[in-house]
Amino acid sequence: MRNKRAEVLVNNVIFLVLNLIVLSILIGFIYIKGNSAIVLEQSYAKNIALLIDSSKPVMEMKLNMEQAFNLAERNKIPFWEIVKIEGNVVSVKLSSRSGYQYSFFTNFDVTIYPDIPPNKNYIIKINGYK
Amino acid sequence: MLNKKSGKLLSLYWFAIITLTAGGVFVMVYLFYGAPYDVREIESHILMNQVADCVSYLGRINPDLISGGVVSSNSENFLESCHLNFSSIEWEREQFYAEVTFYQLADLDNSFFEIKKGNSDFVSECNIQGKEKYNNLVQCREGSFYSVDELNNQYIIKILTAVRKTEKNVK
Repeated sequence: MRNKRAEVLVNNVIFLVLNLIVLSILIGFIYIKGNSAIVLEQSYAKNIALLIDSSKPVMEMKLNMEQAFNLAERNKIPFWEIVKIEGNVVSVKLSSRSGYQYSFFTNFDVTIYPDIPPNKNYIIKINGYK
Repeated sequence: MLNKKSGKLLSLYWFAIITLTAGGVFVMVYLFYGAPYDVREIESHILMNQVADCVSYLGRINPDLISGGVVSSNSENFLESCHLNFSSIEWEREQFYAEVTFYQLADLDNSFFEIKKGNSDFVSECNIQGKEKYNNLVQCREGSFYSVDELNNQYIIKILTAVRKTEKNVK
């Protein structure tokens, strides 16, 4: 009788542990995928390009990039190297192995730089026309 | 004995269900995050707004385009004067198209003046994009508004914009 109960308990524990393992792998996978450098780089690059396209000189915009700053810190990417603008292309880099570029169509003279720490923002300045 | 067996079978059954569900969620998450964000519709909308702001401001047509009822010669440099740049180092071919058509209010059947800039191949794709939306084709936006020139001649201005950038927006 005692043996039988112990067997049922062990079976249930194994079943529970297996379920927990599967669920934690699943949650981990969703978290990693949702916060991956590739997803964030694309999202921020497109966001910044669209912000520039819809702006007018002389505008100054502050973009909250907390998630990007945290990921860049983990991947040892300096804050001032996260976003760069060359010509009319926005580049966002959050890890040493990745990076994403997206172009904008307006001919603006744009300056972009990180906010003063501990603020995790980027400041986008539309200085004028080129 | 029967209870024990059925209990084991039930556990295995539940585990199989959970594994299948987890597998399904894996596939959905992978597909969701694997597909790029499609921002072309917003982009073509923004392009249309920028073009409209350049063509007419505060209800008056830009005198660089139509002045005193006459088409200005400056209209040739439409992109430069509107501070737009359709070429980019990112793409070999231009990924944008903008078309502005002016109609005089007295004669809406015939266009008074047209400006076409960018990759004109996109026009045919815009015509295909009707009620059904095809993601692999260019995303187009069409709009029209009323404006007057310096001599109060009245115009209806139609704008068509198109954005391709398919490789960066569609899987």
